[in-house]
Amino acid sequence: MLTRLAGGRVIDPANGRDDVGDVWMRDGRIIDTPSEARPDATYDTTGKIVMAGAIDIHSHIAGWNVNTARLLLPEYHRAAMPRPAATPLSYAGWSTFETGCCYAAMGFTTVVEPAVSPHYALHAHLELADTPIIDKATLAVLGNDDYLLSLLHANESESAIEDYVAWILEMSRSIGIKVVNAGGAAAFKENVRAFSLDDVVPHYGVSSRQIVKALQRAVNTLGVPHPLHVHCNNLGLAGNVETALDTIAAAEGLPLHLAHLQFYGYGSEGERGFSSAAARLAEAVNAAAEVTIDVGQVMFGPTVTISADVLRQFNARHRARPKKWLILDGDANGAGIVPYDYRRSDFYNAVQWAVGLELFLLIDKPERVFFTTDHPNGAPFTSYPEIFALLMSRDLRARWIADLPNAAMAMTTLPSITREYTLTEIAAMTRAAPARLFGLTDRGHLGAGAVADVAVYADGADRAKMFRSAALVFKGGELVVRDGEITHRTWGRALTVALRRDRAIDRRMKEYYEERYGVPEELFKVPAHALGRPEPFEFVPCRT
Amino acid sequence: MERAWIAGEPVALDAAVAEAAKLVAASNQPLITGLGTDIAGARAAISLAQRIGAVIDHMHAESLLGDLDIARSSGLMLTTPAEADAHADTLLLAGPLSQSGPFQQLVSGSARMARRIFWLCPENDGATAAAGRHSVRLVGRESRDLPVLLAALRARIAGRSIGKTAIAARTLEQVSRDLKASRFGVAIWSVAHVEALTIEMLCGLVDDLNATTRFSTLPLFPADNALGALQVCGWMTGLPMRTGFGRGYPHHDPWLFDSRRLIGCGETDCVIWISAYRAEAPPWREAAPTIALTAAEAGFQVPPRVHIAVGTPAVDHGAVHYAPSTGTLVAVAASQPSELISVADAISRIASVLPYDGARRC
Repeated sequence: MLTRLAGGRVIDPANGRDDVGDVWMRDGRIIDTPSEARPDATYDTTGKIVMAGAIDIHSHIAGWNVNTARLLLPEYHRAAMPRPAATPLSYAGWSTFETGCCYAAMGFTTVVEPAVSPHYALHAHLELADTPIIDKATLAVLGNDDYLLSLLHANESESAIEDYVAWILEMSRSIGIKVVNAGGAAAFKENVRAFSLDDVVPHYGVSSRQIVKALQRAVNTLGVPHPLHVHCNNLGLAGNVETALDTIAAAEGLPLHLAHLQFYGYGSEGERGFSSAAARLAEAVNAAAEVTIDVGQVMFGPTVTISADVLRQFNARHRARPKKWLILDGDANGAGIVPYDYRRSDFYNAVQWAVGLELFLLIDKPERVFFTTDHPNGAPFTSYPEIFALLMSRDLRARWIADLPNAAMAMTTLPSITREYTLTEIAAMTRAAPARLFGLTDRGHLGAGAVADVAVYADGADRAKMFRSAALVFKGGELVVRDGEITHRTWGRALTVALRRDRAIDRRMKEYYEERYGVPEELFKVPAHALGRPEPFEFVPCRT
Repeated sequence: MERAWIAGEPVALDAAVAEAAKLVAASNQPLITGLGTDIAGARAAISLAQRIGAVIDHMHAESLLGDLDIARSSGLMLTTPAEADAHADTLLLAGPLSQSGPFQQLVSGSARMARRIFWLCPENDGATAAAGRHSVRLVGRESRDLPVLLAALRARIAGRSIGKTAIAARTLEQVSRDLKASRFGVAIWSVAHVEALTIEMLCGLVDDLNATTRFSTLPLFPADNALGALQVCGWMTGLPMRTGFGRGYPHHDPWLFDSRRLIGCGETDCVIWISAYRAEAPPWREAAPTIALTAAEAGFQVPPRVHIAVGTPAVDHGAVHYAPSTGTLVAVAASQPSELISVADAISRIASVLPYDGARRC
């Protein structure tokens, strides 16, 4: 099957391309313009923008935590009861089926679920198997697990930690490792209520910093393409910019990714002791070439916060809007589900909104700042089109700012920022850079050999409208979306890292699971045959 | 060996499948319930419900939804069997408990540590309370006293005064002091035996205890992969069971879509009853034409119109289901592989011969 997308403006920053021309696809891959060009199908893309399919690197779309949030909040579901339009989260894509379709309609073709506790990996993969069209991947959460903390406590070798990390990646079929408030959840079980980078986990005697550094080193040595993905301590607290700056400094030359940095961009100035520290944070990111970040933009409206940061969620539980919550002291990290409503009229929420945009606009290189809302923590992913529009227009931002509390805007630099993202920068931020960050060499670009994941948008002044419903989307060369409507439903795969690992640890893990959990470690694995889809995994090679 | 029946008479599987499809196709309001099946079976059942506009329910929905209501309306601390065993120095047991699964491990002699156990209103179960290295204190006896006992304890823990109750004030004083002095406590109850409002009081008490110490809960759920089915309903529809698809989208209403009510009012004209873990027949006598997917030996009060014998998950065929020992979904191989078909297979066969493939219109 030879397909030609004819005459669009092709924006492909990974290959330095921004011109009007054609994109050709054959059998699921992008190809160079063939010499004998008789396509089986031609799509006229004149006046349209052609990009690679977008990649979301941090969106909570599947697993026990997400599903518990669904069950906790029937009123957030469109179908809970017939309601007028604009029911909270009705636009969020709340079942796995809607999630895949809503993403595809916006031209997204790959999404990373960033917080899977290894013991819930099978559950998460079952949900991902029921998430249509898009490809997906998971990050396994470590850093509050008894096994790792015990290794560190016993001063075990770096290679022992690497073996364990590799074992976890394989058993959970993940693409990388995330650490969430390293040591904080374990400390909370010992009744600790606040936990910073140099605080020590009772009983184990290891600091949060030691845990982060050990995992960063192990991930790097194993050659896992995605650097350690860090959810820092002290999320959401006034003055927590110091924690983020300390963590950036702790990267010490090795790659490190900081998640949803907006939630750490807070100073403690002003009458209310809450201010934007985004400018300081952006400066530090600009100066630390080994560090990448994603934003976790806040948008106004009802949502639900879903996090493996059980300590933070516990401390926030009585501020839930509406007033209900669930806190899990899990086998390792656990989880907290706390609904929340970001309000325009709320001083703190308005500052949070501005901090996110400041980070987007003050970090120089779009390939180092990744586009996320930490779905659904800052906002549902369906709010992305509005955020693209805000990044691309200072006039639009000015109109929003005019509607927000003056006192809040006075605590930020946002009103003075004039930068506007270009389409090329948007493509770099949402296509080229995420593919590189995860070692996906055949995604995020439109060069020959790439997977034929292509999004075509009708160019227009209303950027939100343009990005909300793609004119055409191809997944692996198949047309799946036309004018924002799903035309064909496929089942994507889960991308998982292919490791060559030392099998000597297997026996040790078997003994450990028998001793600690009283069950075979096999029970926690994710066998392909259990997922009910043919070939559910695609393997991503490690760096050599 | 016979594996399919129409009106109690043995038939070939294909004939039973064809008859089932005919019943489904002729139905104006099908009901899929029981739902005692593995993840694949639940996935297939919900997909079919979506396609034919059926209601989806579960035999344990009443107690599942009662427990879920706490999370849906207030707050809930939860923990896992392994964490409870690793950390709990105190257990607060509420109401009668069947001594099985993770609970048994926590109170057994091989538990990770000696615990202080308080058992409120155990009814007769208290007599069998494990002791050995654990200290057990029984407080109250009858289930009906549990709500007042919990309320009184909660008030004392919060430092509020209380009136006279069936339990001596001194006992309440001691127990509340001991609970506050625990390092990591875990409250345990059986969701089938404790009413929603009582669970809410218990969860409020646990939340209050967390003001100064650590306390969590480990509710015990019914079998038949009830929690697994709840999870599948959650991700496929965004909602729990007792959800109907007749409107063309999932609509959750715990009263409207209660199987017993639908049967009792004659609002359903075709029932698919699923019980693959046990040869369990539906708990009602008179019902609409029924397609039963159960183990062969189910004792029906009235022979179902169609009966297809299905295998037991993780025995006759490999399965994914909820494991109480881990608190997660796990994949398990068949322990005695057989030719019996799975619920997922049976449903997909029925679905493949349905005469239409779109959602039904009213």
